[in-house]
Amino acid sequence: MGFNDLANQALEGSDPAHETRHSRVGQYSLGEVLVRTTDVTLSFQNKDNPDDPPKIVLKPTSIEVRDIVRPGLAQGQVIGLLGPSGIGKSQFSRILAGLQKPTSGQVLVSDFEKDKTGATLRPVEAGHVGMVAQDYPLFRWRTVLGNLIVALEHTTLSRKDKVAKATEYLQLFDVSELAEKYPAQLSGGQRQRIAIIRQLLCAEHFIVMDEPFTGLDPISKEIVCEVINKVATLHEHNTIFVVAHDITALCQISDQLWLFGRDRDEQDRVIPGATVKTKFDLIERGLAWQPGIYETQPFTDFVREVRQEFRHL
Amino acid sequence: MTNAFRPNRSLTGQAWTILLGVEAALFLLAWTFGDAYSIPGPYDVLQALGKAIREDGLLYELGVSFRINAEALAISTVISVGLAWLSVLPSVRPIVAVLSRARFLGLAGFVTVFTFAFGGGHALKVSLLTFGISVFFLTSMASVIASIPRADWDQARSLRMSEWRSVWEIAVLGKADETFEMFRQNAAIGWVMLTMVEGLVRSEGGVGGILLNSTRYRNFAAVFAVQIAVALLGAGQDRLIAYIKDKVCPHSALTLERN
Repeated sequence: MGFNDLANQALEGSDPAHETRHSRVGQYSLGEVLVRTTDVTLSFQNKDNPDDPPKIVLKPTSIEVRDIVRPGLAQGQVIGLLGPSGIGKSQFSRILAGLQKPTSGQVLVSDFEKDKTGATLRPVEAGHVGMVAQDYPLFRWRTVLGNLIVALEHTTLSRKDKVAKATEYLQLFDVSELAEKYPAQLSGGQRQRIAIIRQLLCAEHFIVMDEPFTGLDPISKEIVCEVINKVATLHEHNTIFVVAHDITALCQISDQLWLFGRDRDEQDRVIPGATVKTKFDLIERGLAWQPGIYETQPFTDFVREVRQEFRHL
Repeated sequence: MTNAFRPNRSLTGQAWTILLGVEAALFLLAWTFGDAYSIPGPYDVLQALGKAIREDGLLYELGVSFRINAEALAISTVISVGLAWLSVLPSVRPIVAVLSRARFLGLAGFVTVFTFAFGGGHALKVSLLTFGISVFFLTSMASVIASIPRADWDQARSLRMSEWRSVWEIAVLGKADETFEMFRQNAAIGWVMLTMVEGLVRSEGGVGGILLNSTRYRNFAAVFAVQIAVALLGAGQDRLIAYIKDKVCPHSALTLERN
């Protein structure tokens, strides 16, 4: 049974939670639903000509992310979102992050404040899912530490505890020495790490990263992949959605890969409105959780398959 | 030294000293030996400056003008910056738009109205100057707030900030350095308008009165002397605001090429 089948089954009401599964990379089970979108659509009305038909960006899109449970491991996950430019991936990620209201449908995310297991879902609001935009935005008027402390503002922690928690994360990502620097004094890689830490502190477990590989050289891309993997393995519930164009890099870090595409009519013309057309389960294929997998033939074949699919989106 | 004539090059401290020395010498030479009827020489201006300080109470008048300008600037800042911040509310934007258009109006047209509204003398001067500064200050500040990109607001929202908390973070704290810069520019504009206002309302004196009297009697040396005194005070004021800005917003100069 593939991921598509699992997701469909879950949406139809059957509950495959905690069903033990065996893939080529080991035993695991699917736990609670962490994120669920139900028939999410997005369209825009032409403000200048309200009589024009609305511009459809997203067709009904239903996806589900379940907790992946591996015995004895804190196994977060990375979901890759791939698709041609301008298709609506970034809009979808804004909806996931609660920054854009969908035209219809709903996004639910685990409410860890109410239930540490993540079993209780709540409608997403801005801040529940962290958003790391392409240029790694930070408040340029605050120091790195100030940027991190402001992310903890919604908590009941004392100022001292906020500083302690922010400092702990800086140490975790080997960037303690940057605490008193301003964003303008950081390199691109440092900015990215701080932006990720800040969203981790605020959103706790869910992060959307928009185009994290754009403009990076191969070595920098590898470093970014390492950081994303590190974040994913920090906590059982950590779930990172990565929106990107770089097929190889995305295949390298993803546990699930979702391809956004549009339908075509009989004359092969694009029908407006994108949705998740194809889902690849890299765990099932034995292509996840293995260091150096991207140097193997199965991985190369998989990238070719995705590239082939991408051409028809 | 050739770097002084190439775009975007930096100079050593010594090169700067030489450059400034040469330019100052050329300026003084042109001023001393220039043959323009309406431009008095440096010696005449220095003499007139001494006389203005001793006999016309220039320093006292400068103090009077400075106080009026500071008062008007303070009120203008509260009105302009406050309204600009509030322009995040759609209901306030039309008010801001209308007030911004008022910068095309001449101050002379408001003397009677403001006299009735605020009284004459000091209050009239302050109100006229406040109006003059506010319409420009508000226009520039409202433009700063309007040009905040959506990504900045998103950044605040993604950190669970409420819309008002986002306004505080992005529009108030985030634009503090630009607000200081606008304040600095409008403090200078205040001096430009002040002499005009002091010409329209002669009570209390001020440097505007001295300037207008000296111009009427074609005492150009005195005019230059007062202008130089105002420029020196203005430069000091400019420097002070820039210093405070650097202390309050140390991040603002980090990405500049000319540091």
